[in-house]
Amino acid sequence: MEYVLVTFPTDRFVYIDDEQNGRTNEVLRVDEGTHVFDLGPYANYRPGSRKVTVKDTTPLEPREIAFYRLEDE
Amino acid sequence: MRAPAALVVALLLQACGSFPPNPSLERYVPKAGYSFGKLELGRHNTDELFVIVTFSGGGTRAAALAYGVMEELRATPIGRPGEGARLIDEVDVISSVSGGSFTAAYYALRGEKLFDEFPDLFLYRPIQSELLREMLLPSSWPKLAGASYGRSDLAAEFYDRELFRGATYAELIARKTRPFVVLNATDMTTGTPFPFLQDQFDMMCSDLAGVPLARAAAASSAFPGALTPLTFQNYAGSCEYRQPSWVQIAIDDTPLRLNARRRAVAENRLSLAAALEAKPARPYIHLTDGGVADNIGLRGPLDALSSPNHPWSVVQMMNNGPIDRLVVIAVNAATGAAVERDQSASVPGLIDTVVTAADVPLGNYSFDTVELLGKAALENARDARLVEQCNRLSAARGAQCALKLPSARKVDFYPVQVSFGYIASPEERAWFRGLPTTFELPAETVTRLRAVARRLLAEDPQFQKLLKDLRNPG
Repeated sequence: MEYVLVTFPTDRFVYIDDEQNGRTNEVLRVDEGTHVFDLGPYANYRPGSRKVTVKDTTPLEPREIAFYRLEDE
Repeated sequence: MRAPAALVVALLLQACGSFPPNPSLERYVPKAGYSFGKLELGRHNTDELFVIVTFSGGGTRAAALAYGVMEELRATPIGRPGEGARLIDEVDVISSVSGGSFTAAYYALRGEKLFDEFPDLFLYRPIQSELLREMLLPSSWPKLAGASYGRSDLAAEFYDRELFRGATYAELIARKTRPFVVLNATDMTTGTPFPFLQDQFDMMCSDLAGVPLARAAAASSAFPGALTPLTFQNYAGSCEYRQPSWVQIAIDDTPLRLNARRRAVAENRLSLAAALEAKPARPYIHLTDGGVADNIGLRGPLDALSSPNHPWSVVQMMNNGPIDRLVVIAVNAATGAAVERDQSASVPGLIDTVVTAADVPLGNYSFDTVELLGKAALENARDARLVEQCNRLSAARGAQCALKLPSARKVDFYPVQVSFGYIASPEERAWFRGLPTTFELPAETVTRLRAVARRLLAEDPQFQKLLKDLRNPG
């Protein structure tokens, strides 16, 4: 099992490979390999999606995947 | 004289059987049909307690063991006294193979009428003799002479008439509630599990709703040699089907040598897809016994426990939060090795050697599959403990040192095993492990199998821990 932490200033749904998978700022489970992450339809964030290869993580060191709010820029 | 002879030949050819084609799907609609997400929680079922049950192959021996486990689950009260909730109400998914698929499919169709109807209709019935009689009937011969009709097609007709009474997957969809029951066959060409769910049939542009449960059970239990494979038509390319986005991503990961299993699943999905000119590379899919690919019925659930890309991903449910306790009950009717050949110095014969060459790797694979379940539970517990320990150790050094590391949602995992190998008495264990694989067992044997299933489940340490934790939550 691999672990990711998708960060965003507010609480949002996280989509992994187009499927809803938990929320932002929580440690989420995923399998090893490349996955596409996004925050769903209300697109007030950038980048629009992130394609990330997840490997060699631990629950103590999840892979961080950051999204930023457009209004903050 | 020539004309009547030609007429007779023509009539005979017309009488020759051909497999009943599975219906095509007019247009692909994601997650429609018989899919996990379409089923609602039944009364007394919660997502906090998520229960997966797997039924192995092994003919009537496996069907009876599975039935006994269902009896014990029904007899196990949970929750507050007086509410009437039982552990059987919490079963969310059943994954089955071969003999176990009959119990699973009947429960999916008839719910708790299983307990009134199934023993007489299947468990205590000489199914094997009746099937043989059916095959020897002169009226069956012309059908069996057809090149695309085999003994399993005849068996499917028998199950349809005598057990499932014409029911198709449309009736499971209409029931609307869990458990989600996945009957597994084996794709002969790829050697991979072929689960009967709409996600699988979507790739073939076929509508599972129109497939008789009897054909799914017959494919799942088409024991090689005794029964023939079953043919399904692949209409890929005719319904605007689109593979999920992860499939191409997994293929693209190949140079990175990451997650070979995910890539293999992706490649297997693409093997069913349309090739050139929107026509499938494999217009017919031949299915044999599910036990050839996985005789425990556990591979699908293991994938669901490890990947967010599975059609009923448990990882996805764990990420989304509702699951507190995850229970996997593996009901395994595997028998032991026969030792008769070792009583003699004679060189084992050809049949014995060929059967052994086919059977032993399957047994070893099943052993590894069950071991993977234990490893998955250990990994889950170890990862959860790691974060807890770090937080505890840092806090012990004073509030200013407390880390409060974020962690994945905690899920308590209970891997439960029902297997003859856990019978304490060597004599009793040997007796159960010496039972044959057949669709016909003496009534007393079936009754003993039901009883031992209940006992083995109740005695399992993880099962006992689950019941204790449910009585004392927190």
